[in-house]
Amino acid sequence: MMKKLITYIFFVCVAIAARAEQTRFTMSAPNAVEMGQQFRLSFQLNDRGSNLQLPPGLSDNFQILMGPSTGQSTSIQTINGKTTTEITYSYTYILRARAEGKFEVRPASVEVNGKVFESNSLTIQVVKAQASTPAQSGTSQAEQGTTQNIDLDKDNLFVRVDLSKRNVYRGEQIIATVKLYVNPNVPIHGFDDVNLPTYEGFYTQDIEIPQQINFTREVYNDKIYQVGILKKTILFPQQNGRLTIEPFSMALLVRQRVKARSFFDDFFDNYRTVKARVTSDAVAVNVKDLPTAPAHFMGGVGNFQLSSEISSTNVSTNDAVTLKVRISGNGNIRLVRSPKLELPSDFEVYDPRTTDNVSATNNGATGTKTIEYLFQPRFEGDYTIPPIRFAYFNPATGKYDTKATESYTLHVEKGTEEQNTTVVSSLRKEDLQLIGQDIRYIKSGKAMLQVKGYTFYGSTIFYLIYLISAVLFVVLYFVYRKKARENANIALVRNKKANRVATKRLKAAATFMKQNNNEAFHDAILKAFWGYLSDKLSIPIADLNRENAVSKLKDKNVSDEVIQDFEEVVEQCEFARYAPVGGAEARHDLYKKAETTMSRFEKQIKR
Amino acid sequence: MKKIIIFLLIIVPFFVFAQETNEQLWEKANAFYTTEEYQQAVSSYEQILATGEESAKLYFNLGNAYFKTGDINNAILNYERAKVLAPHDEDVAFNLQIANQYVVTKVEELPKPFFLRWKESVINKYPTDTWAFISIVSFVLFLLLLGAFLFSKRVALKRISFWIGIFSVLLSGFAFSHAAQQKNKINKRNHAIVFCPRVTVKSSPSETGTDLFLIYEGLKLEVTDQLNSWTEIKLADGNQGWLPDSCIVRI
Repeated sequence: MMKKLITYIFFVCVAIAARAEQTRFTMSAPNAVEMGQQFRLSFQLNDRGSNLQLPPGLSDNFQILMGPSTGQSTSIQTINGKTTTEITYSYTYILRARAEGKFEVRPASVEVNGKVFESNSLTIQVVKAQASTPAQSGTSQAEQGTTQNIDLDKDNLFVRVDLSKRNVYRGEQIIATVKLYVNPNVPIHGFDDVNLPTYEGFYTQDIEIPQQINFTREVYNDKIYQVGILKKTILFPQQNGRLTIEPFSMALLVRQRVKARSFFDDFFDNYRTVKARVTSDAVAVNVKDLPTAPAHFMGGVGNFQLSSEISSTNVSTNDAVTLKVRISGNGNIRLVRSPKLELPSDFEVYDPRTTDNVSATNNGATGTKTIEYLFQPRFEGDYTIPPIRFAYFNPATGKYDTKATESYTLHVEKGTEEQNTTVVSSLRKEDLQLIGQDIRYIKSGKAMLQVKGYTFYGSTIFYLIYLISAVLFVVLYFVYRKKARENANIALVRNKKANRVATKRLKAAATFMKQNNNEAFHDAILKAFWGYLSDKLSIPIADLNRENAVSKLKDKNVSDEVIQDFEEVVEQCEFARYAPVGGAEARHDLYKKAETTMSRFEKQIKR
Repeated sequence: MKKIIIFLLIIVPFFVFAQETNEQLWEKANAFYTTEEYQQAVSSYEQILATGEESAKLYFNLGNAYFKTGDINNAILNYERAKVLAPHDEDVAFNLQIANQYVVTKVEELPKPFFLRWKESVINKYPTDTWAFISIVSFVLFLLLLGAFLFSKRVALKRISFWIGIFSVLLSGFAFSHAAQQKNKINKRNHAIVFCPRVTVKSSPSETGTDLFLIYEGLKLEVTDQLNSWTEIKLADGNQGWLPDSCIVRI
């Protein structure tokens, strides 16, 4: 660890030192040469240097024909009155390849002010000499005239779509490069009618390339071509099976020298522009379907990372909370759907906002997709925001990967009153949310089976109950009535007999009066009265006393005067029984009074 | 006496045995339903019905099992049968309503006068036997009150028993007639469910009759007449026509 750190610091220091001195030492050479062809290997140094060491092992593969020839160029720049002078020293070697193949040229080194600087390294591909190509160094007009009009056929001039992959999963990205291959001897000076390919069945994203087409040397089929990149596109196949990129065509403007017909022609401009139409071949891509997707697959194919961030976990009701989920990585990020956030159902949830930031590079589409979920908790409490799961297909491993954000605990407190008033309805009634509909569950317990069609109604027992109860009633009625009638008869008899019994008793009282039997006389009168009232009023003798007798008499509408007489008689009798006061006179009066009261009773008590 | 005892000893075990199997079948069918083996539940419930016994609960559960197997027609049929036996059961009404959502034909019921609707809702308040029971109880009450009226000496008691007595004898009569109507419903079975997926209703009981209208399976209709293998039906909206017998099942 320590060692690493020291090395790192050392390199940083070196880099800083180099930067500070502004010493640049670069090596340059064409990246593809023909066998036997001469080429330049040149070094540029912006300072005076000494002791230039050629790359080690250079002479093994290349023959140094000439060199070094040194040159010096000075450029003086004045910007805003500030003048900078830059002197560039160049060392040029002319080399020739000894053998075919790909060779690496290791860095050269040079000493500047006692310090050693190393250049970059290079790779040079050597291909076999092209038979039709005569001496490259031909400079004479005549020679050029013959070499100029080389065939504009497929060997010398063609376009092709270069795909990074031919066998992909659906949604996996492919980098398609439209390249123009030109024989270095064919002078191109323009394009016309460019119909770039339409990638049908693909979702495309263009990679930014410089407007100016830079031609580089490239070896293709053991030949050196000038290659220009016309367009770079990232393709995302959207269909399964074999997708074909249809051929496309373009016209190239080539300057050709017209063969001299006469001697004078040479004096005039005898070049003409020829239109050469080139057409690419169709390219096919084999697209495999993705394996069965897991639950949280959102269409992402590539390699992604997932991160999330919540604005606050401690809020009050009706505060807006933002959960930011960032999906970053390399793949079809634009085609990824927003994963679903499962929130408690009484949250106010707004549609998530999605922003893409994707850049297309030579490595494919890379960037981030930011999804902002905005929601408002309506009620206080502690809620758990579950993790968002995001599954994607990794074409490198051929498997699905699932990433999940962390889960958050949201503590919601009751908002203050002022906050509540800002909300339209602070008191909200939640409607019952019907989630599904189903029949009610079966009934359990006893089946309570009955024979089909049987009902208690209409059965014999049903009617019997009516009949029995009716019959019972009638029987009881008659029994009761008979008894009542008998009772009534007894009372009637006694009622009728009452007067006779009373007169008999009064007569007995009269005989006692004559015998001067004071106690027996009064007794007989009382007996006569009580017996009479008992029979008349149907009150048993034992229950009879003055009070209820009087009230009963009043009920029977007996006049108060008679009742008063009756009371006087009873009082006198009871008094006289124990304390005889009056003589025969008084007894006689009492007797008379009792007799009249009795007869008036008889008249007034109707029944 | 001895003979009777022997007879009972022979008969009773059969009776008990039969009862037991039905109870067992009932438990078994409910267990099948709970474990979501609806097809087996259906066949077990049907076995109970095959013994000639029925109950509103049984029809209800059978309807549920049919519903879960996706046989809406049979589900509706059994719910309707349950409804005949237990007209005021909320669960039956609810499930019937859900099952009816699957019925394609929509029929607007003819509006009935309010007193008929009231009467119907009163009658449907209880099944036959509850009405019969109410009738008996109120009749007995009437007799008691009549007795009180006849023998009571107190004027107030007489008056009360007179009025309540009149009320209870009326109640008894109404309950009796309601019971009779409910019983009539069970006996007549003049409603049916369409079982053909799609059937054309004809103007006369023959294939050559004019096509009147189309009805789809699951619809409940009233049977008004029968001729040969044809049935005259009446929809709730008053439309009438003839259908082949084979297309309907009586409730």
